[in-house]
Amino acid sequence: MDATDPRGLVGELALRQLDAAYNLARWLLGNDADAGDAVHDAFVRALQSAHTYAGGNARAWWLTIVRHCCFARLKERSDGRRFVAIDQLAADLGEAAVQRILPKSAADGPEQGAASAQERARLHRQLHELPPEYREVLVLREIEELSYREIAEMLSIPIGTVMSRLSRGRERLLHALRADAARSGERP
Amino acid sequence: MNCESSRHLLPLYFDGELDPAASRAFESHLDGCAACRQALHELETLRARLRDPAARFAAPAALRARLAATAPARPRMRNRPWLALAASWLAAAAVGAGSAGLWQDRQHAVQAQAQLTRDLFAGHWRALAAASPVDVVSTDRHTVKPWFAGKVAESPPVHDFAAQGFPLAGGRIDYAGSARVPVLVYRHGGHLIDVFVLASADPGLPRQAQMRGYGLRTLALGHATAAVVSDMDEAELDRFAQLLAQGETAAPAR
Repeated sequence: MDATDPRGLVGELALRQLDAAYNLARWLLGNDADAGDAVHDAFVRALQSAHTYAGGNARAWWLTIVRHCCFARLKERSDGRRFVAIDQLAADLGEAAVQRILPKSAADGPEQGAASAQERARLHRQLHELPPEYREVLVLREIEELSYREIAEMLSIPIGTVMSRLSRGRERLLHALRADAARSGERP
Repeated sequence: MNCESSRHLLPLYFDGELDPAASRAFESHLDGCAACRQALHELETLRARLRDPAARFAAPAALRARLAATAPARPRMRNRPWLALAASWLAAAAVGAGSAGLWQDRQHAVQAQAQLTRDLFAGHWRALAAASPVDVVSTDRHTVKPWFAGKVAESPPVHDFAAQGFPLAGGRIDYAGSARVPVLVYRHGGHLIDVFVLASADPGLPRQAQMRGYGLRTLALGHATAAVVSDMDEAELDRFAQLLAQGETAAPAR
């Protein structure tokens, strides 16, 4: 490797994987302000420790830093609230609903858009309400598409634990979604 | 394999963590077990809902701009450290694969192969870093194929796999060594897939390779060779490669 500044490479990597970082932070912390701050912290820290990056899976390395910064922020939060505030959720849903309806053609009635928004709201709510250790592996595996090995390395846990958390998390999420759907009168 | 013993394999199969032999064994159980198929279907539905792009939180533009401003100068077109490292990895992999003697004999071939593999990964990364990964944006294969005419010696066959979850996004021209090659670009969820269509039937590429979380699959495409590069997970990369190979035999390009 020549003497090119490793910080340039790390910066480029982090920016390319910024959505992944933000998504993880947002799901771990539950609100936009903390997620943005945690990702910013992580970016600074990644640049500082760029020289320690020794190859291997770059995305997992970066997300590990993001995760550490999230937990540092969680620790700082004295009130320790775990669930997303209602306002925040409503804000998400409004945005999601708009995003959902906008790109659709006129052929889709508003009702269909509303049902989808409602369904997404349900998914968001139930994923948020999962215990953090399950939520975390679900986000990493299902949304960010990391392998078992990558997740195990990121979380410093055995692969077997990744597997059991993932199974349990999926089970609980499916169960919660079914119960939620039943409560709200069998809407899809 | 009974249902009890296969039930704990189901998530492993679903996540692409089983080896090919175990996958096949599981599939044969799946053929005869409606309960496991139902469970698999539930997992697939859940994943589809979670992977809905609108459900993923995207980094706010202000945050991105703020970080980009503080980032040190980015070695944009000077990808040498990546490339040098990539080359050393490939060399290491090649040494690991064969005996040292064989390595001596095949050194030149391996170097050529490493060079080409490196070019393909680098091409994919360059495209990801560029403003747009495609030169012609189209989801219509009848637009993409003629676009290549006159730009490369032979237009590649173009198929759309939107129905299978891999919609065509467009095409571009890239370089592999000194040759201009057509590249078909597909999307799969948030992933970009590059298919380099190399004119040679045996360009001397490995059947598969990995680099920094990106994967390569090589397959025959008539008298040409297709090299697929993406950061999809291994199982999906295999599935796409299979589709591409079948597309060639099942539905010839019009």
